[in-house]
Amino acid sequence: MRKAATVQELPGVSQSKTEVRSQAFAWSDLASRLRPYLYLAPALICFVLFFFYPIGSIIYLSFQDWSLINLEQMEWVGLQNYQDLMKDGDFHQVLGNTAVFTIATVGIGLTLSFLLALWLNKKAKVYGIIQATVFSPHIISLVSVSMLWMWLMDPQFGLLNAGLEAVGLPAYTWLTDPKSSLLSLIIVSIWKGVGYNTLIFIAGLQSIPGDIYEAAALDQSPWWRTLRRITIPMLSPTIFFLLIINTISSFQAFDTIAIMTQGGPINSTNMLVYYIYEQGMDFYNGGIASAASVILLILVGILTAVHFLVMSKRVHYR
Amino acid sequence: MFSMKKTGTILCALTIGLSGVLAGCGSSGKEQSASTGSTSQPAASTASSGPVEIDFWYALGGVRGKTIEDMVKKFNETHKDIIVKPAYQGAYQENHSKVLASVAAGNNPDVTMVEIASIAAFADAKVLEDLTPYSQGDEKKYIPGLMKNSYWNDKLYAVPFNRSTPLLYINRDMLKEAGLDPNGPKTWDELVSFSQKLSKKEGDKITRYGFSTPVDIWFYEALVFQGGGNILSEDGKELTINNEAGKAPLELWSKMVKEGIMKNPPGENYNAWDVAEQDFLNQKVGMIFTSTGSLTELKKNAKFDMGAAFLPANKTFGTPTGGANLVMLAKSTDAEKKAAWEFMKWMTDTEQTVPWSIASGYMPVTTEAIDSAEMKAFYEKEPNFKVAVDQLQYGYPRPMAPGYKELQDVIQKELQRAMLGQATVDEAMQAATEKGSKLLKK
Repeated sequence: MRKAATVQELPGVSQSKTEVRSQAFAWSDLASRLRPYLYLAPALICFVLFFFYPIGSIIYLSFQDWSLINLEQMEWVGLQNYQDLMKDGDFHQVLGNTAVFTIATVGIGLTLSFLLALWLNKKAKVYGIIQATVFSPHIISLVSVSMLWMWLMDPQFGLLNAGLEAVGLPAYTWLTDPKSSLLSLIIVSIWKGVGYNTLIFIAGLQSIPGDIYEAAALDQSPWWRTLRRITIPMLSPTIFFLLIINTISSFQAFDTIAIMTQGGPINSTNMLVYYIYEQGMDFYNGGIASAASVILLILVGILTAVHFLVMSKRVHYR
Repeated sequence: MFSMKKTGTILCALTIGLSGVLAGCGSSGKEQSASTGSTSQPAASTASSGPVEIDFWYALGGVRGKTIEDMVKKFNETHKDIIVKPAYQGAYQENHSKVLASVAAGNNPDVTMVEIASIAAFADAKVLEDLTPYSQGDEKKYIPGLMKNSYWNDKLYAVPFNRSTPLLYINRDMLKEAGLDPNGPKTWDELVSFSQKLSKKEGDKITRYGFSTPVDIWFYEALVFQGGGNILSEDGKELTINNEAGKAPLELWSKMVKEGIMKNPPGENYNAWDVAEQDFLNQKVGMIFTSTGSLTELKKNAKFDMGAAFLPANKTFGTPTGGANLVMLAKSTDAEKKAAWEFMKWMTDTEQTVPWSIASGYMPVTTEAIDSAEMKAFYEKEPNFKVAVDQLQYGYPRPMAPGYKELQDVIQKELQRAMLGQATVDEAMQAATEKGSKLLKK
């Protein structure tokens, strides 16, 4: 019996040995499988903490009626905040303003920067100086820039109107009239962004190998065909990058509005992010502010997705 | 290949960026916990004789901010058992937002300034401590006209600190030159006729305006009071500006702008105030409305004989009061509250409010201060500083309703609409009343 038992036990022993072995094997395997995640963990934790958690909580808060001033009285209202926003004429205007502002700043701004970059992409000291001048608004704080432009745009005593009058043109209303205020902000925003965009474009242009242009020159390709067939396709990753960056930053315009117009006159320059701030921090309508934030998130998400879908087919990476 | 490389780069950038954020957060978190820790310690062991630390957030920059810092320093030198830590937190609105955020986060200041029309919102949300048990009748020392924005549901929540009324500032040299009474216009009709005489034209261009005022809720309130009206009904539940008293201010202003004798300064909110004051200092306008709190600053920079006068009367004189009150936060510990009251009482006492008023242009807040020899001697020398105090006999509180911040924005938008000709005065007041009553019902 005993013998039999030992015999019977033997395979068990060997089994457990192999188990131990395989377990040991699994441990080291697991460790090596886990190691990458361990390295990723700091980034991942940050990402969850500062990205996913805030997104989750803002979505949750957008279904509540709550206010910064009285956090204990939080009430679940379902889609009420979204319905209120959809019915609110001011919010429609805010969305319209944001769309006009974004399309104008990105469209005009990038075209201008591209043309400037084509002009400045030459090796002479004078171009370097112009490039530095164009770039300088980028490094000045947006707050100072906004204040300077406010003085320039003063309708009675500002430099811009003095200039217009000097050449015999009528004075312009700039920030004082709802019809011209958004345009004034677009001008400031383009002026501020053009230097950075130009710089990136020039970097892109300089990375296009010269031999392609030499080949085109040998073929006696006219300049516009070179531009259309070589420069723009070769520059497409840069264009794509700038398009996304500029769209998102225009969508999130805040500082200029806060300093120059505070959304006025009569809501004519109020845009999404400023609206969110105003609702949440000034008027204590936390629920409305959260719902508007979620809408902003969705809009920026859709825009970026569309960019990727449409543009990525046309972008030519080397 | 490219996308792999790209994701790698993005992740890399994120790690670097976010670890920076984390590091930043960590250190500031530590600081905060350290400061709250040290403030709550004395509360836990009141028996130990260590000084109580309290945080005081204020909302005035420039010369006025420096004066506040000096006052706090003096308080700390004379009170060995209390340490007040002052911190500037931006203008009124910014300070309000920060206070609310800090209450939510549990590291709130113990004393702060709250703009008087927001007292109702803060008190209604139970952010503020009822001061009645601390004050015990001591609040009778304050000028009664300044106390109307201190109560909510019959409880005392605030004591007056930097208080003002709007004034009519006049360029006396300009008035004399035009052969006008250098004491300024007394009525709306005189305001119009003075402005007509002061305005100058070169060809089609107006080079000088007689009068300028921001189309701001505060001045609008004043002009409504002058017509015998009020912004809100007695119970604070209805907007009462869709009537003669509510429309008269808009009619006056738009008529004057159309005639080219009043400048509607560009800019929203305080931007417009800055423009009006700059134009006045540059002698591009002869008379402006602005706060008595600007007296010191304007006096320093004016290169002409500057006077201050009552706002001109319609049916009567009338003015809202303005500025901010000191409040105590409900979430502080008992020891902190005791120290906070000590500090609030001291800051608003006659001995402090007299030099504070002289340095800033704000009104002294105690009756005793106005009768004091020091103040009287100062008024003798600088009669402009006394105008606001005298005007107080026609003073009204600012409207008290928890949602007034949003409501005043609604009214102001409609005022602008009428001023820019997008709506008639009737339409604007109708729209304001409709939107306003919706807000008040919330």
